Amino acid sequence: MPNQTTASSPIVEISELDFCYGSVPALHGVNLSIPARQVTALIGPSGCGKSTLLRCLNRMNDLIEGARVVRGSIRIHGVDIHGPEVDVIELRKHVGMVFQKSNPFPKSIYENIAYGLRLQGVRDRARLDAVVEQSLRGAALWDEVKDRLQQSALGLSGGQQQRLCIARTIAVEPEVILMDEPCSALDPVATAKIEELIQELRSRYSIVIVTHNMQQAARCSDQTAFFYLGRLIEHAPTRDIFTSPANPQTEAYVSGRFG
Amino acid sequence: MSATGPRPTLFVRRRLRFLGLTPDDAIRAFFGGNAVVAVVVLALITYFLVREGAGFFGQNRRNLEVYRLAGLEFVDHLRAQEEAHTALTRRLSELRLKAFARLSAGTDGAEAAERALAVFDAYAERFGAAIDPLRALGSELAEVATGIKTKFMVNEDRKEERRQLIAEGKAGEAARVGVVPVDFAAEARPLLAARERHREVNRVLATELLALQAAPPAPPVPELRDLLERFGAEVRSYVAELPAIERRLETWDQAKPVAAGEALRAFLFGRQWLTASFWQDWYGLLPLLTGSLLVAGVALTLAVPLGVGAAIYVNQFASVREQRVVKPAIEFISAFPSVVLGFFGIAVLGEVLRQVSQLPWLAWVPGFPFSERLNVLTAGCLLALIAVPTIFTLAEDALNNVPRALPEASLALGASRLQTTLRIVFPAALSGIISAVLLGLGRVIGETMVVLLCAGNRIAIPDFTQGLGVMVEPVHTMTGIIAQEMGEVVRGSIHYRALFMVGLVLFLLSLAINFLAQRILRRYRLAPS
Amino acid sequence: MSAPTHRFTPRSGARRLREAVVVALFRAATYAVLLAGGGVFADILYKGSRTVFQAEAPFINTTFLFSSPESLHVFEWEGRRREMGDREFRAFREREPGAADVRAESFVYSAGGIWPCIAGTLLLVAGAMSLALAVGVSSAVYLSEYARDGRFIRFVRLAILNLAGVPSIVFGLFGFGMFVIFFGWNVSLIAGWFTLAFMVLPVVITASEEALKAVPQGLRAAALALGATRWQTIRTAVLPYALPGILTSSILGIARVAGETAPIMFTAAYVVRDRLPWEVERAVDFLFQGVMALPYHIYVVSSKIPQNEYTERVQYGTAFVFLLLVALVAAASILLRNRLRARLRW
Repeated sequence: MPNQTTASSPIVEISELDFCYGSVPALHGVNLSIPARQVTALIGPSGCGKSTLLRCLNRMNDLIEGARVVRGSIRIHGVDIHGPEVDVIELRKHVGMVFQKSNPFPKSIYENIAYGLRLQGVRDRARLDAVVEQSLRGAALWDEVKDRLQQSALGLSGGQQQRLCIARTIAVEPEVILMDEPCSALDPVATAKIEELIQELRSRYSIVIVTHNMQQAARCSDQTAFFYLGRLIEHAPTRDIFTSPANPQTEAYVSGRFG
Repeated sequence: MSATGPRPTLFVRRRLRFLGLTPDDAIRAFFGGNAVVAVVVLALITYFLVREGAGFFGQNRRNLEVYRLAGLEFVDHLRAQEEAHTALTRRLSELRLKAFARLSAGTDGAEAAERALAVFDAYAERFGAAIDPLRALGSELAEVATGIKTKFMVNEDRKEERRQLIAEGKAGEAARVGVVPVDFAAEARPLLAARERHREVNRVLATELLALQAAPPAPPVPELRDLLERFGAEVRSYVAELPAIERRLETWDQAKPVAAGEALRAFLFGRQWLTASFWQDWYGLLPLLTGSLLVAGVALTLAVPLGVGAAIYVNQFASVREQRVVKPAIEFISAFPSVVLGFFGIAVLGEVLRQVSQLPWLAWVPGFPFSERLNVLTAGCLLALIAVPTIFTLAEDALNNVPRALPEASLALGASRLQTTLRIVFPAALSGIISAVLLGLGRVIGETMVVLLCAGNRIAIPDFTQGLGVMVEPVHTMTGIIAQEMGEVVRGSIHYRALFMVGLVLFLLSLAINFLAQRILRRYRLAPS
Repeated sequence: MSAPTHRFTPRSGARRLREAVVVALFRAATYAVLLAGGGVFADILYKGSRTVFQAEAPFINTTFLFSSPESLHVFEWEGRRREMGDREFRAFREREPGAADVRAESFVYSAGGIWPCIAGTLLLVAGAMSLALAVGVSSAVYLSEYARDGRFIRFVRLAILNLAGVPSIVFGLFGFGMFVIFFGWNVSLIAGWFTLAFMVLPVVITASEEALKAVPQGLRAAALALGATRWQTIRTAVLPYALPGILTSSILGIARVAGETAPIMFTAAYVVRDRLPWEVERAVDFLFQGVMALPYHIYVVSSKIPQNEYTERVQYGTAFVFLLLVALVAAASILLRNRLRARLRW
């Protein structure tokens, strides 16, 4: 790689971002640097704009009529992702996303994982097989499904489905993985597995996770950003946020007094 | 006092009762009664179609019986032989036409061509004349057979008259109506006796034809040698067939009863729908069924790509503003009355298509150019316009019902819009789209006015030998025949009942299509996620 | 800085072009449909307006709209081509002594107007829709308010779905067999009403159920919790809110009823009838008379008389009036329903 990113250098830089849904503003003047190969948690009460910010990072908001960036920029590896020469589809290959509710395609487990590669025109069976296995292993799902790769993904349990979605995401080798409350629909056991998985993935990917669950943020993130009413209130290493927050609103939120 | 125990009247409401029913029960029963109206109507439709139509089989059986008893069947064997010869003669005229076109294109013009063809013409004439003895025999026997049939019919009428007179209590007058049962066996004796003559005629015919094919004229144009040779082969196989026909006449059994299944088979697989004929009426479904299916096929070929394509575009690619205009507009098209579309076909579209077909650079299209304004294509185009809104609306619904999470996941993996649509959304909606297409098919097959006005109304199985060119032939359809002939038939007659039978087939067909559409929709629906 | 910009640069141009072409094809399909529909609509509107409208006041051809059909006679008279309706022609022949044996070409139905057809269609639609609404709404109330999902109800729903797919000509045969023959009503208004009502029943039931379903469950629960009986709940807390929806959606049924020809061909429609529907001696005769109807008249004038400059007038004129009537009803229904759907998101 031409410019080697060190563990602490930022991979995503958000500066002075204003974002609107039609005429309704959702984000104001957000400045945030997301370090590479770390887990950054976005927390805050419902409607604070954390999901919106997440969906800005791979421009999923483009799908919503009237949603647009009013001011400011998002740079990934220094490239403005709203720039004219940027292809949103290439962007999404580099910035993968895992959704709140698991959303496997109504296809076989194998085809779910292979989907991203097939899109890029990969037909080589051996390579597909290899990537499927590698991705499922990476998502700690291989042992559970290796005997039924050709069965429908809809037959998996909720937690397995979510890990399948993660596997599907890492199959296209993104650099950044966005997770939008990935555990909110799961039971505690499945949640624990996903959190464990996140810990393993951090060594290779930069992860941004939106969560409502304070313990989750505390447990598995390195950095935490607290949002309130569309503004970034505080951004600091997770330990600092939960032990000595600088802002009284942050303190009120993390200690459970509102939200 | 109140504290001592539960009051028995608490929670009991005093209600008026009538026949043991509270008003609420009665209201409920009233609504429930209305709810089953749909079931009742379906049952009534079945009942009345069967009630009016079922008599058809008995009547048709009788119809076929008379066909046999009166010897029409016998004579038809002869006629078939005659027709096969006529087909051969027609082959010769085609040959001549081709030769003439070649010759007259030369420098010497038409007159020289005529001269060059003189030998050929003499040959053709001799060939045509060879059948004359058989034709004479055939028409003589046909007269005998129709004579028998007429006698029988007259007698039937008399019987009916007598029955009516007796019913009116005029026994005296009834006795005066003479009814002489027809002795079919005796009446048909001249037919059977003619078999000897037929063999004789055939022998002469065979020698003549074989002689003719052995000495064909020199081909007027060298290119036609192959065709002439093929003609010779056809003549030989025709002659070889003659003993089979004789055998058929020999073994013809006038007294052989018509099986009950015969009447059904003659309806379902009959290749002719021929009514009010002086010779023999046939009520065969096939020409109508093939007509209906052919028109529906053309309509769906046009409507499926357009309807599904439009649904995909509107659902996946159109802006909200575009959606808001296009969807109601297509829905609006579905309100066009079919009779107006049929009129448009007669007044405008038929002629436009005919002229388009005559554009020289479109000559490669099968069937083009055509001269018949009203045909399968004209009707099919208009029916497509009827089917598109149905298919579009239901297919768009199906696409809309695909959970949004699926395309989102696909896009987040770096798929383009089109890839997402074709690989994720379309397959997920496929069962809904197939069922939409099936319902469109039901709509098209059941449509009456457009085909009645625009399909050309020629009752014959279309000629499939010309491949796709079949789509510019005029046809008649099941719906069209009912609409056209229902007004003219005598109530209770076999023709009347045959039309009800066609209606019953149509009804069952539509039920089957509907049922299939629902099965597909339910069976392959996505698990709600 | 050149290396990083490579990360998100566009894919190859050929691939993008291919996608653009495919999407353009889908788009072309959409607009081809609209174009075809618009073409038919415009042709009939344009050519028909020449019959229905005129240059001088009152700008609408009242003769065409408000008189009965007559034969058209075309003949040469004193070197000029004359066109006259039946009555005018007779008067003309009496007036002009030399005209008694003038040779005239005649075209039936091509003069006069279509008033009996308009009246007949309106009567057919009004009666059929009243019947269908009464039965259909009751049926929908039962299905959505009373019935519990069970085998029988599923059967009823299946029947409704299947009824919707029955071809209209089969309804015509059924109506003929049941009402015209079995009940002995002959070809009559009332036989047409019932036939059309049964045909449109599934549309009305489905539309009504949709409207009933749109009323929030909370309203029902609230009424029941206040001690209302089931019927009281329906009457006070459900039907009033569902009614606008039921009515607007059912207008689409009107378009269907008015637009169909096949079911009335043998049950209610006459090719020609001299008297208007309300010119009857006894009140019962009103129900048991056949009527002229616009769709049937279009069928008759487009298939039973030749196509030429003289007949085109009445052909296009009738199609224009009929299409406009049906289109207005349909457009009103679609617009009202879309507005209602937008408003009724509880």
